[in-house]
Amino acid sequence: MPLWFARGLRRGIVTTRYPARPDRSAAGLPTPPAFRAGVIDRRLADRLVAVCPSRALHRDGGVLVFDVGRCTACGRCQEAAPWAVTPSGEFELAGTSPAQFVKQIGLVQEVGQ
Amino acid sequence: MTALQPVPAGTLASLLTAIGSASVRDGGGAVTVPVPAARLETAVHHLAGAGARLADLFATDGDQVTLRLVWGLDTERQYLITETAIDDLEYPPLSDIAPAAFAEECEIYEQFGVRPAGGKPLNRVALPPHAGPDFPRLGHQPAQPPAEVHAPHTVGGQAFEFPFGPVRQVGVESLYYGLVTSGEEIVDLYLFTWHKHRGLEWRLRGRRPAEALFLAERAEGLSATAVAWSVAAAVESALGAEPPPAALLTRGIALELERLYNHAAAMAALCQSTGLSVGQAAAEIALERLLRVNAAVFGHRYLFGVVEAGGVRRGPDLAALQVGLPGGYGELRRAADALLATNSFMDRLEATGIVTTEQARRLGLVGPVARASGVAVDSRVDQPAAPYFGHPPAIAVRGTGDVLARFQVMLDEAAESVRLIGDLAAAGPGTGAAPLPGGGGAGLGWAESPRGEALAWVSLDADGRITRARLRPASVRNWRGFDDAARSQNVFTDIPIIEASFWLTVAGTAR
Repeated sequence: MPLWFARGLRRGIVTTRYPARPDRSAAGLPTPPAFRAGVIDRRLADRLVAVCPSRALHRDGGVLVFDVGRCTACGRCQEAAPWAVTPSGEFELAGTSPAQFVKQIGLVQEVGQ
Repeated sequence: MTALQPVPAGTLASLLTAIGSASVRDGGGAVTVPVPAARLETAVHHLAGAGARLADLFATDGDQVTLRLVWGLDTERQYLITETAIDDLEYPPLSDIAPAAFAEECEIYEQFGVRPAGGKPLNRVALPPHAGPDFPRLGHQPAQPPAEVHAPHTVGGQAFEFPFGPVRQVGVESLYYGLVTSGEEIVDLYLFTWHKHRGLEWRLRGRRPAEALFLAERAEGLSATAVAWSVAAAVESALGAEPPPAALLTRGIALELERLYNHAAAMAALCQSTGLSVGQAAAEIALERLLRVNAAVFGHRYLFGVVEAGGVRRGPDLAALQVGLPGGYGELRRAADALLATNSFMDRLEATGIVTTEQARRLGLVGPVARASGVAVDSRVDQPAAPYFGHPPAIAVRGTGDVLARFQVMLDEAAESVRLIGDLAAAGPGTGAAPLPGGGGAGLGWAESPRGEALAWVSLDADGRITRARLRPASVRNWRGFDDAARSQNVFTDIPIIEASFWLTVAGTAR
């Protein structure tokens, strides 16, 4: 036991100030996507829906519906359309009902890809 | 992985003689021998007697149920699959010859309704007791429900049954222990793992490989790379795709990083189970640093999303690897050195949870559990494929089979993984994937996960959709050795220590 005592004194406190301050490692974590309004049309929306393996996306007429609660931040939609989808940087999710995790992204008329 | 050349020699040739057949199919990652049902018992007798390792047993459904036995011919560096169509609802009791087959016999009965002849009681392994006729199954429902594991025991003398689980402490997976004890010593132990059953093999049917990999790497999250690699390799073998060499190097780096963080996590769990909180904290610092290395190198702490069928989706950030890995491993090494010098810790490990060499062989155990019992089985060496052809690992082996031996094997493997990562990184890893040809087919894939050999067998139709996927993570194999280890003159408080040293997942076995 003296070994561990001495080791602890030598190392000091190894911990984080999170959540009072952001943890540095959070910058490298994969996060759910953010969809740029105004650049996603129906065709692109359907492509994004097709690449989403966790079925977090679906299209409802002229709206892309994104359920953040189902998203695993796998990055496939960001790879498919990096000009329209970027990492949100938000890895902390909390809500009082599942509906609060559903976002609706209005789609534009056909645009050039 | 690369298709094997037909080698009608050695065990294969003698098997063909024994069953009086000349029919061999090569390709798909293994040599496949059709065996008539009437000759199946002879074939199993022959292979078990010849020292072949029964690596898996599973069924596929169609017009009739087909049994496939996967054998590791480890000294001959190949896998052999025997394929037997079952005409009626029974087949020879294979576990009487090869005890490693029993868990799969139970599973096949649950899923397909065919059972070994002789009427031996079968245990419930995956489907919950409330599984009715509409419960998703891979094949037919059995005529009679499998006999319950917790059917009344005959517990003699002062022994009694102590139930524990399935809800356990903190974030530990759901697992029910039935501990039969006379007060302190473990007389018998049985496990229920079906609480965690997710029907993954059932869910994989009809999926394309890309969709399947997303689910496969979640079958056992702590082996995401290994299980995904085995499934991807099975698909590649089935379709004849050759992943780019640089992508295989990337897979190797991810797999060794997976081994490293798992061994650090096992070390933390060992400390927790022995009540050494300061050691646990030290091991968890190492674990956290290694997880951050994973995130920096591959963009995910648990290495999800690296492997894809035909190659990899992401290449490693080698600069981040160079910066982060020495610190993460150094932390692990310092914690390990301190633990090895702590008598109160070492005393709990020594002579605890012994698995003998004979038990490990008989039950077909794999990974560090087998290697700590003197069975030097490692698919990176026994079934070598790129990138391990040119970068073979040194296998760590111990002979005492106790918790201490398993801990030492893990430490040796961690050091070897760091060396391998350096070699693989220097060889030019990259990203990219080969296109998957159409046409369908069936193939076997494998990867050496931190827990041991992970196997997958996949068949695809002409449209490229999966018709049957068999996932066999190492946990499926090694849980069957746990009760033997627990019974070997251990007391109640040894059980968490033994469980930590096996470092298995319930998710992997329940699937």
